[in-house]
Amino acid sequence: MMAASNAMPVTVGDSTDVALAAAGDRQAFERLYRTHANRVYSLCARMSGSRSKGEELTQDVFVRTWEKLPQFRGESAFSTWLHRLAVNVVLNARKTEGKQTSRTEENEEEGDRWDESARAPMYIERMDLADAIAKLPAGARKVFVLHDVEGFKHEEIAQLMGITSGGSKAQLHRARLLLREALER
Amino acid sequence: MMTDSDMTCEAFDAALPDYLEGTMDVSMRASVERHLRECVRCTGLVRDLENITKEAASLPDLVPSRDLWAGIEARIAAPVIALGAAPARPRKLAPAWMAIAAAALIVSTAGITYTLTARTIRTNGVAPATSTIAEAPPSAVTSETTTVPAEPAGSIEAGNPVSSGVSRLAQNGAAPTSRRGVQATLASQTQPETSPSEAIYGKQIELLQNVVQQRKAQLDPATVAIIERNLQIIDAAIEQSKAALRRDPASRMLSEQLNHTLDKKVELLRTAAMLPAST
Repeated sequence: MMAASNAMPVTVGDSTDVALAAAGDRQAFERLYRTHANRVYSLCARMSGSRSKGEELTQDVFVRTWEKLPQFRGESAFSTWLHRLAVNVVLNARKTEGKQTSRTEENEEEGDRWDESARAPMYIERMDLADAIAKLPAGARKVFVLHDVEGFKHEEIAQLMGITSGGSKAQLHRARLLLREALER
Repeated sequence: MMTDSDMTCEAFDAALPDYLEGTMDVSMRASVERHLRECVRCTGLVRDLENITKEAASLPDLVPSRDLWAGIEARIAAPVIALGAAPARPRKLAPAWMAIAAAALIVSTAGITYTLTARTIRTNGVAPATSTIAEAPPSAVTSETTTVPAEPAGSIEAGNPVSSGVSRLAQNGAAPTSRRGVQATLASQTQPETSPSEAIYGKQIELLQNVVQQRKAQLDPATVAIIERNLQIIDAAIEQSKAALRRDPASRMLSEQLNHTLDKKVELLRTAAMLPAST
């Protein structure tokens, strides 16, 4: 379960719009999009480490939501369901990309490299936390965003990412140390 | 660096994840806290990491650089194009519905046989066995115009009466033992209200409509709507064929067209009768 402090806000009108959208009402779905777009985009951009990639992923998330909405049973809040779906879309996109990555990037996926190249699309002159997160190695970044930004627990992260709970803790600690190092410069 | 707490900075670093997670046992935690009171380096590290955690939890939402809705809308509005028909998955039917469908088929087949037999008897004034009809050479079976009552047709909801039409069995044609075997022929004699072939189809249609009507509640409403729409289209085609035949009763092509359309209706109703219940 997500930490209460970071759970996506439950919107009063969600349930009606969810029902309407599940029945094919695109206007209702647009209202849901407007309500949740920034939250979903933040997750996508931070997990992918790229604003432009985040925009692509956000669109993928909402298209996927539209397709899956008829299966939403209301057992959890729509926002929680959407959030988890978004995480899965981002993680699956990374897996698909992973199959096409070069050897160098594969090494990065394994978490061996602190990315200081110009690859970081969030680059601005002053390094702040958001910029530093974008430059984290992929594995550490995903765990950090899910745990410290989004409030997931290690057990949930382990399940989502197909790693152990201990692996999630190790990646988180590594991410925090790397961020400290980056922010001290 | 070694402090009075007997914990080195290296040992502290190793224990730090558990300390920050709050998953450390009491005695170890006390040892870490003693080290923190004495070590500036480790105190600064903990403070920094705790700040990062706090700041991360309160990061504001990001805003996309553009409105993404247009792209999403275009994708969800795009029609789904089937790349190929998926092979039909065999699905289990409820035994009761299998029995109803089987009974309907048996009764309709018996009805066809009975109608043809009775008509042949009336024509020839003899009483051949049903099997004789089926096995007889084409020349042995003759027919004439026979008037039979109009059969119900139409949507699943209601059996709309079919207006009368004209069709005759071929004078020298094979006796129809299947729905596809019913053939019309050139006819210049009296026009009946309803042809024998229509009567035969009518019986099948009525039986199948009853089955479909009973099953309607078990089927997906969207499926029922599609079936009804298709039935309306077929019924319209039947009406057109009948109207054309009224104008040109001798047309073999029109007669065959009518039979073909009736055939389609039976096929559709049979498919609908055999559909598995929606989940």
